[in-house]
Amino acid sequence: MSEVTSGWFDARIVTGAHPAGLLPPTDADSIATHLERYALSGALVSSMASWLHDPIAGNAEASAVARTLAHRGVRACWTAVPATPGELDSLTTLVDRAIDNGVAAFRIHPLSHGYSPGLLTDLYAALQPHHLPLCIDSAELGWSDLSSIAAAYPELPIVVSNLGYRKLRELWAALTAHANLHVDLVDFASHQGIEWLAANGLADRLLFATGLGVRDPGESIARLAWSGVDDPTVRLVGSLNAGRLFSAGGAV
Amino acid sequence: MIARRPEHRVIDVHAHLGPYSLFHIPDPDAATMVSVMDRTGTEVTVVAANRAIQQDARLGNSQTLAAVDEYPDRIAAYAVINPWQSPERELDRLADDTRFVGIKVHPSLHKYPVTGARYAAVWEFAESTGCPVLSHSEHQSPYDAPALFETVAERFPGAPVILGHAGITPAGVDESIAAATRHGSLWLEVCGSQMTGPLICSMVEQVGSGRVLFGSDFPFIDQRMSLGRVVYAPLTESQRQDVLSGNARKLFRWRPLPGERGVGDD
Repeated sequence: MSEVTSGWFDARIVTGAHPAGLLPPTDADSIATHLERYALSGALVSSMASWLHDPIAGNAEASAVARTLAHRGVRACWTAVPATPGELDSLTTLVDRAIDNGVAAFRIHPLSHGYSPGLLTDLYAALQPHHLPLCIDSAELGWSDLSSIAAAYPELPIVVSNLGYRKLRELWAALTAHANLHVDLVDFASHQGIEWLAANGLADRLLFATGLGVRDPGESIARLAWSGVDDPTVRLVGSLNAGRLFSAGGAV
Repeated sequence: MIARRPEHRVIDVHAHLGPYSLFHIPDPDAATMVSVMDRTGTEVTVVAANRAIQQDARLGNSQTLAAVDEYPDRIAAYAVINPWQSPERELDRLADDTRFVGIKVHPSLHKYPVTGARYAAVWEFAESTGCPVLSHSEHQSPYDAPALFETVAERFPGAPVILGHAGITPAGVDESIAAATRHGSLWLEVCGSQMTGPLICSMVEQVGSGRVLFGSDFPFIDQRMSLGRVVYAPLTESQRQDVLSGNARKLFRWRPLPGERGVGDD
């Protein structure tokens, strides 16, 4: 095993079953196998239930996996929705509770959960002083909303996921305008995308992530391992950037 | 365990070349493609230039041939046949120029069904020569849904047809598997944004490892996305090597790919 390809941190795993059945369900055991197979140093785990069933209550499933695999470097990523009576009392209280539980990041799904990202200003404000990253799938909000959040909260790290292969024009504009924006490798499918970011001085904005549970991990593994960037850049993308970004809630 | 270098021999039967208007592709040139191939263990890639499928078949096919001339041991050419742009002219060109090893059609992009009369000359040519035809295929498309290829296979059972993307969606893969199971002239190719290792395993289990082909769609999409799904899928090593290169060597017999003569040729 090559040293440079071990110890990567998987910045996106989703635990639970996907209703369309693209991939088998992921539980703590299958995540442990994933970590072992690829010699990963840890992972950030959110919950399929928080995305596709019960946003707030589903966070317990992510935390349960994180507790089970804490010794393997697994951390929980919680989901937030706007404060609404009967569903969530307060976003600031939710963030406080998350920090008490060792949560390493938050994820939002404005499109899937049917609200405007402008309703989450309390969340962004609560996350920013803790430098707790905000993770978002690119399909969940428009570039204009993303840019507005990044500009209004410049100390809030934001990680964009599931970019596909058609978004480099928008991505370039967003990354160069906002130093707090990052992109992970889940479905980062542009030809030579890693090499292109590295050549343009933006390798420190790129995070290794497989999307286990919603994407085939082989995509990101092969994409980084057989990339055309040098070993220090592979290490940067594979683990160092995550170490810097997700350290707010504890060591990665 | 992750190796920094691949351990398999690869032939990529679905690739492009050059820019595309809808989005930016970094370095979509042949030299960069070959540099990627060097890192992924890809011996040969069969290419259809983006200009040929997107805008001008004749000019695009010339671009593809220029890439072959630059890298004759690594790149092979599909002739794109656009049913609206003098298909007979490009078929004649294909017949006369041995640098072309196959035909590429894109019915969804050209908005014309594979069962239509304007494609008949393509299927007739493929049946009479054994020239493989790679077609885009897409679940529920009125132009190239996998089930439509069953009609082609019934009319032209000797024409080897590669269902590019194998229908694209998981439901499309199921439909493609059903079509390929009923018709031995249909082959399945594995690239696409929604493809996964488990779906590829389904193809191998139901159709057999002998008619599933590796393709990536690069540089439209990064080659390693598709390759990683196959390399890390729970296939036997024999099945994996069939998919990654063995089957391509078997299929491309009319004009063998660089590096090895076609199976069955003396």
